[in-house]
Amino acid sequence: MPKQIICLVKFVPNVDGYQYDYERNVLIRENVRMIINPDDACALSLALQLQKNEPDTQVEIVSMGPLSVLPLVRDLLRRGVKRATLLSDKRFVGSDTYVTSRIIARYLSTISYDLIVSGSHSMDGDTAHVPAQIAELLQLEQMSNVKRVETENNAEGYLFFEVESEGDRSRYRIELPALLSLSRDSPYKLPFVRYTDLKLEVDDRITIITNDQLGIPNEELGLKGSLTKVVETYPKTLEEKQRIVVTNDDQGIETVYQFLKERGFV
Amino acid sequence: MGRTLIYYDENNPKGSVGLLEAADLMNQGDEHKRYAICFDPETKDHGYFDYWLRIEDERIKSYDVVNMTNCIEELHNSYRFDCILIPATPLGRMLAPRLAMRLGVGLVADVTAIGRYNGQVKLIRPAFDGKMMAGIVSAPPLMATIRPNVFQYTPRRLGETTVIAFQPQNIQQTSLTRLETKTGGPLQDICDSKVLVSGGGGVGGSFWEIAPLANALGGMVSASRRIVDSGIATRAIQVGQSGKIVSPKLYIALGIYGSLQHIEGLKNVEYIISVNTNKNAPICSLSDIIVEGDAIEFVKKLVERIKRETPQNQI
Repeated sequence: MPKQIICLVKFVPNVDGYQYDYERNVLIRENVRMIINPDDACALSLALQLQKNEPDTQVEIVSMGPLSVLPLVRDLLRRGVKRATLLSDKRFVGSDTYVTSRIIARYLSTISYDLIVSGSHSMDGDTAHVPAQIAELLQLEQMSNVKRVETENNAEGYLFFEVESEGDRSRYRIELPALLSLSRDSPYKLPFVRYTDLKLEVDDRITIITNDQLGIPNEELGLKGSLTKVVETYPKTLEEKQRIVVTNDDQGIETVYQFLKERGFV
Repeated sequence: MGRTLIYYDENNPKGSVGLLEAADLMNQGDEHKRYAICFDPETKDHGYFDYWLRIEDERIKSYDVVNMTNCIEELHNSYRFDCILIPATPLGRMLAPRLAMRLGVGLVADVTAIGRYNGQVKLIRPAFDGKMMAGIVSAPPLMATIRPNVFQYTPRRLGETTVIAFQPQNIQQTSLTRLETKTGGPLQDICDSKVLVSGGGGVGGSFWEIAPLANALGGMVSASRRIVDSGIATRAIQVGQSGKIVSPKLYIALGIYGSLQHIEGLKNVEYIISVNTNKNAPICSLSDIIVEGDAIEFVKKLVERIKRETPQNQI
């Protein structure tokens, strides 16, 4: 079983909280909370379960983002994570997935690990690029949509896991170190913070790393270093149809039935 | 003349050929040579592509993304593709980012439309769970994963396809082994169904009571994300940005609000009938008929009406 587990975590706006203003055709993005990306929460929960089974296991979370996510990092430390590293630097702002992967991989190449876990997809960007690209930079195998990892199966240097995609369920064996990306359909749930730990002081377990430590040339960071650029965003608009409104009474059902009959569906 | 490489997924021939339409749009009508790469040596789909790169190496398993990357890198070094398109399947979405990083090329994920921006190709994709659309430009070579079934390709005529057998040199030992696969049975794909009867949060726990209507219309049952997230149905039948993009002739939306992420899953649907207690739900503005009322009651009444017309032995 792995001893040094890194969990990649992204904090994302809770997009379910977005409201849509259909009159003005705009998305209302104010007052939306940041949360841990749901797939990443599954990955972290798995890591914490592995740590619980073998207490000399160390789980470290690695995240990239602004310092404003620190309260969320502290919350995860109070749930049993041993260490947290936040890669935070104004020069990182605007980085696309290519640059982001390079920043995170640069940090990971300076530490030791035998398993990296992450989510498969993020709720906001949803490109699913970063785990695969970090794996490429670190020369690791990577698998997405992992549903379950066998936490009891003790084979030295290997992990067994299941992937579910498009109705198929496959079981794999992977040699460590490796990068596994969990799906939000996996059963792992984050443990609660114990009541006595609600105000636990955890800042001594947080390391903040800037590019001064990583030493990536400035022109390779942020918007400047990005290979892709978002040139516009707009809310999706709906095209209206001529419509018939009926109710569930006999006449309404007859209208639907005749509509289907005229078009050959019944 | 430009060269386009398309990853041909042997499990989704129609979706793979559809990427040619995306390739044509990106090439802005300019002639370009179309290459298909297929890792299954048994598969042949000739006539659509100019060249068919057949990979003959038994060591590359259907899940071995690292060796596929090695192989495409080798090919790119000799062919210098201007455009690389990969279907946005679970495998494609692991392969494409790894390959893009290897080649040092920008990658746009899950493209659903193509436009122009200051003379450059603009790739359009949903973001924020389908609530927003983003237009993205990327330095050449253009590389993207494309949503299967969004683009449909109709050739003017079928041409000659030249087969090129390729024996990769840089194959490495993989540390990943697939031990077993259980397919979910001969699962029908909701993307193939002409009629979909779809349930959402409004039908909730009564979700499976909508099945008789799907049967009566010879269609399949599908679901919104709320139903899938609450564990009532599997993700395989989910319509929407985080599920599947479907193009049935008839879509009956039962108790579905019609969030943008759901509507993103409906492409070229001919007729939509929605049943909702709220006739101002967004799905209703897309509907041909809106039934204001309880969805389960609607299902029961309509099934009864259909049975009344149809002789018993035909059901």
